[in-house]
Amino acid sequence: MKVTYNWLKDFVDIKIPARELADKLTMAGLEVVSLEEKAGDFVFEIEITSNRPDWLSILGVAREVATLTNSKLKNLDLKIKTKSAKGNLKIEIEDKADCPFYSARIIKNLKVAPSPEWIKNRLELVGCRSVNNVVDITNYVLFELGQPLHAFDLDKLNPEKIIVRRAKSGEKISTIDGTESILSKDVLVVADKEKVSAVAGVMGGKDTEVSFASKNILLEAALFNPIIIRRSRQAIGKASESSYRFERGIDLDMVTRASLRAAQLLEEYCGAEEVSFALSGLNKSKETKIDLDIAYASKILGINLAIAKVRQILIGLGFKIKQKSRNILSIGVPSFRQDVKQAVDLVEEAARVFGFERISNSVPSVKPDVAPNMQRSLVSDIKNMLVGLGLSEAITYSLIDKPGLRNSGFEFGVNPVSIMNPLSQEQEVLRPTLMLGLGRAVSFNLNQKQEFVSLFEIANIFKAGTEPKEELSLGIALSGVKSFFTGAGLAKDEANLLNIKGIFETIFKRLGIAGYEFTGQAANFADICVQKEKIGSMLCLGQQALNSLGIKNKDVFIGELSLDKLFSFVQLNKKFAPLPKYPGITRDISFILKDGVSVKEILILLREKGEPFLREVKVADYYKGKQIPSGWRGLTLSCLYASGERTLTEKEIQPAHDLLCASLTQQFEVKLR
Amino acid sequence: MDINAVLSQIDSEIQNVNSSEALEEFRLKYLGRKGIIAELTSAIPSLPKEERACFGQQVNSLKNKLLSSISEKQETLSVKANEAPVSFDIGMPGIAQELGHLHPLTRITEEICSIFSKMGFSVVDGPEIETEYNNFTGLNIPLEHPSREAFDTFYLKDYSKMLLRSHTSPVQVRVMKEKKPPLAIVVPGRVYRPDAVDASHSFMFHQVEGFMVDKGIKFSDLKGLLEIFAKAIFGNDIKMRFRPHFFPFTEPSAEVDISCIICKGKGCSACGKKGWLEILGSGMIHPNVFKQVGIDPNKYTGFAFGMGVDRIAMLKYGINDIRLFFENDLRFLRQF
Repeated sequence: MKVTYNWLKDFVDIKIPARELADKLTMAGLEVVSLEEKAGDFVFEIEITSNRPDWLSILGVAREVATLTNSKLKNLDLKIKTKSAKGNLKIEIEDKADCPFYSARIIKNLKVAPSPEWIKNRLELVGCRSVNNVVDITNYVLFELGQPLHAFDLDKLNPEKIIVRRAKSGEKISTIDGTESILSKDVLVVADKEKVSAVAGVMGGKDTEVSFASKNILLEAALFNPIIIRRSRQAIGKASESSYRFERGIDLDMVTRASLRAAQLLEEYCGAEEVSFALSGLNKSKETKIDLDIAYASKILGINLAIAKVRQILIGLGFKIKQKSRNILSIGVPSFRQDVKQAVDLVEEAARVFGFERISNSVPSVKPDVAPNMQRSLVSDIKNMLVGLGLSEAITYSLIDKPGLRNSGFEFGVNPVSIMNPLSQEQEVLRPTLMLGLGRAVSFNLNQKQEFVSLFEIANIFKAGTEPKEELSLGIALSGVKSFFTGAGLAKDEANLLNIKGIFETIFKRLGIAGYEFTGQAANFADICVQKEKIGSMLCLGQQALNSLGIKNKDVFIGELSLDKLFSFVQLNKKFAPLPKYPGITRDISFILKDGVSVKEILILLREKGEPFLREVKVADYYKGKQIPSGWRGLTLSCLYASGERTLTEKEIQPAHDLLCASLTQQFEVKLR
Repeated sequence: MDINAVLSQIDSEIQNVNSSEALEEFRLKYLGRKGIIAELTSAIPSLPKEERACFGQQVNSLKNKLLSSISEKQETLSVKANEAPVSFDIGMPGIAQELGHLHPLTRITEEICSIFSKMGFSVVDGPEIETEYNNFTGLNIPLEHPSREAFDTFYLKDYSKMLLRSHTSPVQVRVMKEKKPPLAIVVPGRVYRPDAVDASHSFMFHQVEGFMVDKGIKFSDLKGLLEIFAKAIFGNDIKMRFRPHFFPFTEPSAEVDISCIICKGKGCSACGKKGWLEILGSGMIHPNVFKQVGIDPNKYTGFAFGMGVDRIAMLKYGINDIRLFFENDLRFLRQF
């Protein structure tokens, strides 16, 4: 909201320069976001928090200025010359909950003309366009006192009765902004016997607008329920300075005063005569009383507040104070402070004006809670492992588009959770997988001419069900050729699915996951299982997915698993196993095996046949190439034999090793080399 | 095969051996399982009886010659190795596995959480899908009130009153309902608001929430603790100010500004010429919130604060566009 230095001076003597005043206001909670010198005045743009509708006026800000600078607030001298009679206008309020109070002045014989310069100037400085003297005066009072007013052209109304009611469904109104709205029963309107004249508290109707031809007006000053004004405003999709104030709550005690202020100005500047004044509803607020214990205030703030200081501040802000006992003040809340409901609200008022900067710092003692957040520390460990393995962390959007999901084939039969009010189609569902976001990140980086992309993301995925479910997941994506130095120079390694497997295995081993396996018959797809439970999958993206991601001539490998599931298998309690006392003997077996034979099954067989001396058998090397017939692979397994009781001899090992070689050739399609 | 031919071949070949790898290759060629010596030896049985002994002797001496040449060569090679070869250049790139990079938002989140952990706070997570109650009502935010406008929210289709949390504060409600004071908690997390994306807005962003509840917690404690925090993260030189503000879930409430870290308070484009940067919202937990979660506001007091991780990361690293965080450009990620 904008206020000007000179306008404030109508209500308070200001003895400090504008800049200094701006700083004081900012530090009291009225943040001045800009201060501009304009037309011999200073314009303060202030961000008013939603709890302080009383600050949405020159008067409200002036009250604050007076308190902050120890000045007195000046009162307006309100009176009109013309004597008004009680007219025969009837006001009918359909529901007092929607409109607790409505008043109307009938004012006649006014001359509608351009406003005097000073009114025009002030309105312009606070950002309001001048229309004519009548409309400008209603706006002037709105900015000055915070009470929205509306002037209807009396001759275009049926003057018998003003009705405040809900709109009928389908009822129409053309508003002063030149558009037509179709109304619903969520909209409150002001009407005469025949038609709707205004969307109450939001915008007046075009038909009854005051024009240069108008002679007589009806001046409305009312209090509307904030919620119904909010709904009306949302329903017609139009906001105004009026609706902004009504939604935040206006001061009941100001309604008739503001109406009188407008009448005074109309009389002075438009030559108007008031004819009658009618009102309906409750026009006087009930005062709230709150006890404030100064000891309580001091305790919350951490300073010793002097009771005299608190009194001074609160009186300045318009509160009525009675000393109840030595430490307790009984405080009457003025009607413009509907936000003050309990003692703590008064504590804030005192502290705010006293100055937060005058409250010195202290440090609380914390009772330590050392229970670890296991999930968090595991996630952090995994991230560090992945970074150690050369992957970088991506953060992609949780809200994604449905077509992208469908076209890339990442739906996997999961029903995604939809957003009711998405900003666009790009963000219409919560992602059921990390794969789409990662795939897009890979595509983006390949387009930036990256030779090798290795990314991971740890984030929630979401699945629909009786309850929407979120699941913490880890996704990994690799693509391209990794170049790295060896002693012999640059080496290149093209990413493949075994890289994804290796990365997951590294994590599993570090987290003590027992019984994990990677299973799958298709060449480009595998499930990741732990103790027979599927926790994720990995794949080489097919052509359809690559096309939809816009990736050409590159393979992309993606793996994703559920960390929620994985974490249930974590076993971090390490137990020391004594080091071997006797050295072991390593023997290699080199052979070629036919494609389609699974190394996993070979290892399982050898481990079983190698009892009791075979301690370890692992793949030592594998190769394909000229020496190997096509359709076959070369493989070297390294077997470690050892005993816990003695050093084994060659003689003891030989038969065991021979048995392994024999079983291998018997059970599988392999040829020893 | 002519033994003498092999002999002269050995002499010339061994001279060209210059590395231990080449020597091993040489050894395998002659002495390996399928090497020339093995080949010659295997040929013995097929020779006429009278030639076998002589040939055998020749093969044997050939083998001895090879063994002695190899061991000789081994010595000269190891001497060479100790001499530090001329070809070595320490200016060449070092060889190591290249590390990946944590996302800058992860780095900042961890930094924030670890500062509070050192001060005795526990780190707690909460769900991104929340109930309307936890996100609003439990936090003293009335449903149809302008104070909600700052928290425009994505609602879920098909699930009544479920939404994507628009701040991390619902975790306050969760924790306080579940645990009794004393509490000292920080909550990092992802939040959502329907904001159109531009250089400084995103519909998805990150916050860290913190709160402390115990007997006798005061506003001055909040000030003290946040000053320690701000200096830890932005440096000891910064100035700080607590500006009165309004949040429905705290009373009194304050926004916390630090002196602009770019212009040092003189006023620049980053701080909108104000010389101050807003980094935090904070305040004393509202008694109404305590009532909602079943904590007696006459017995306990507490403070709460919240900050935008994305904003702090942008300030600290000098990032001028929030969209960079979610583009995942490796040229960006590698800078952290």
